[in-house]
Amino acid sequence: MPDSTPNGPRPPPAPGETDRSRTFAIERLQPLLILIAVVALMTVLSPKFFSVSNLMTIGVQGTVQAILAIGVTLVIISGGIDLSIGTLMSLTMVVMGTLVINLGLPLELGIVCAILTGALIGFVNGGLIAYTRLPPFIVTLGMLGIAQGLALTISDGYSMYGFPDSFQNIAWSSFAGVPIPLFILAALALAAVFVFGQTKLGRYAYTIGGNEEAVRRSGVDVKLHKTFIYVFAGVMSGIASVVLASRVNSAQPGVGFGFELDAIAAAVIGGASLMGGRGTVLGAIIGAMTMASIRFGLNVMGMSPFIQQIVVGCILIAAVLLDTLRTNEQMKWPGFLKREGHDGD
Amino acid sequence: MSNLPEAAPRLVEMHGISKRFGGIVALENVDLSADRGEVVALLGDNGAGKSTLMNILSGALRADRGSISLGGEPVRIERPKDAKALGIETVYQDLALCDNVDVPTNLFLGREIMRRVPGTPIRVFAKRHMTRMTRRFLDQLQIELSDLGVPVRFLSGGQRQSIAIAKAVSNQAKVVILDEPTAALGVAQTENVLSLVKNLRDQGLCIIYISHNMEDVFQVADRMVVLKNGRVVGERQRVETDRDEIARLIITGSGAVNDRIESDA
Repeated sequence: MPDSTPNGPRPPPAPGETDRSRTFAIERLQPLLILIAVVALMTVLSPKFFSVSNLMTIGVQGTVQAILAIGVTLVIISGGIDLSIGTLMSLTMVVMGTLVINLGLPLELGIVCAILTGALIGFVNGGLIAYTRLPPFIVTLGMLGIAQGLALTISDGYSMYGFPDSFQNIAWSSFAGVPIPLFILAALALAAVFVFGQTKLGRYAYTIGGNEEAVRRSGVDVKLHKTFIYVFAGVMSGIASVVLASRVNSAQPGVGFGFELDAIAAAVIGGASLMGGRGTVLGAIIGAMTMASIRFGLNVMGMSPFIQQIVVGCILIAAVLLDTLRTNEQMKWPGFLKREGHDGD
Repeated sequence: MSNLPEAAPRLVEMHGISKRFGGIVALENVDLSADRGEVVALLGDNGAGKSTLMNILSGALRADRGSISLGGEPVRIERPKDAKALGIETVYQDLALCDNVDVPTNLFLGREIMRRVPGTPIRVFAKRHMTRMTRRFLDQLQIELSDLGVPVRFLSGGQRQSIAIAKAVSNQAKVVILDEPTAALGVAQTENVLSLVKNLRDQGLCIIYISHNMEDVFQVADRMVVLKNGRVVGERQRVETDRDEIARLIITGSGAVNDRIESDA
């Protein structure tokens, strides 16, 4: 029988190793199995649910959450958390709206500035977390409020309309029957797979999440890399806001709040562990699509958006519980609730 | 006392090391030396000063007085970085490895090898190259491991300790400080780690081995240094001493058979 208790008494190495790697492989398939189960369940509950056009709609609706989830997954892998990604979308959207709608600057410049704003806020988050050792939970919770406040201040609380007509083509047109947002997501996913797997930023996110002290002792500039992990999440937030703004064809100062909940739930359903060290790009996307399927299914069944909030909250808690059981370790607090750097002592 | 003739300088020489924490004397005028191809065991009860002495050698603490020389040259070790640069590596229990990534990733952490994807400016990890180098390196140290690609957490405690030691050594180390490397291990795994230690010694490394375990020490150490209350109370070649004498040194600070204690025991 596979023995997957990492801290238990260890059998002789050779025979046990294969069993454990097999458990490991099955563990990685879990997000996909959950997505299939959710789609199957929704199909049973509502006969109208399963159709190609519905799946496309779910895909498009899940794109924003998927992009956010990819960003926050890297943060979670490093043992941190970013709660500001939702309201940061509002802020970057408003920045873009101000530049393009109010000041009449070119759309492309607006998009670039939205992404740069995301990077800047991510830099502030990451810098504070890495260099002051404030807990990520607190820094990004504070930034959630700051970004929301800035978005409301800049926009004076009003939605901004009047992007060029071509802008909504990003979200609403298709190529070969596949909606454009799915191409954007695919391109971002490829880029993210590269960042996670083939850059030092990605590799150190995994190893910092695994054992921060060991990484520091190996001579890696942990603080610098930590900072840029949050920059990555901020950039993803900026890109997600452009896609969302295109979908609603406006800049809405209040639209982002709550997205962090879906994105973090998506990341965890996708196999990211809040204890750090684990998570994948594909998992984040599958997790986001799972969340989108649930939301779409609940809509089809006519459940009120108010109740949906409750459901999403419950799913987040359930997903984290699943993660705790999955790690097969004794309950311990997720890293982001602790002060940085002292957990090894 | 066995005072060895000091003709040629030994690889590591610590002279007259003293350290106080507030009013408490942690180390008082301690001398310690160790040479290439030698395993020196550092023994003593809890609080005897073993860790303090090694923290000074590895740069984690600074001595109040005393000097350190490496290969006859006086050196200043003020930070862990200095020690690393001089080839002094410390293997700490559980602090050395990232459990969630595989062996090559751990071994190459902080000095990854990249390669360019042909025809593009894109650089990726030279995974196969690093895996091959890892395999060659582990073979050289006679560390047996069937699958290098699984996360380290799936390996046994002994294998992980061996990898941790290998990681320290791979960094051009001359001196390796091992702090209780077998403390959490079973019999067979302890055996593996001890044979790795002997192996490293035979390859010319200088090893300082901190331990409580007399059996381990008598298996690997060439020389034993016993600390008590921050002073060196005894220094013996393994061949000229036995477990009882070392135990007496640790407990009473004197190797001589003490009648009172002997009759009590």
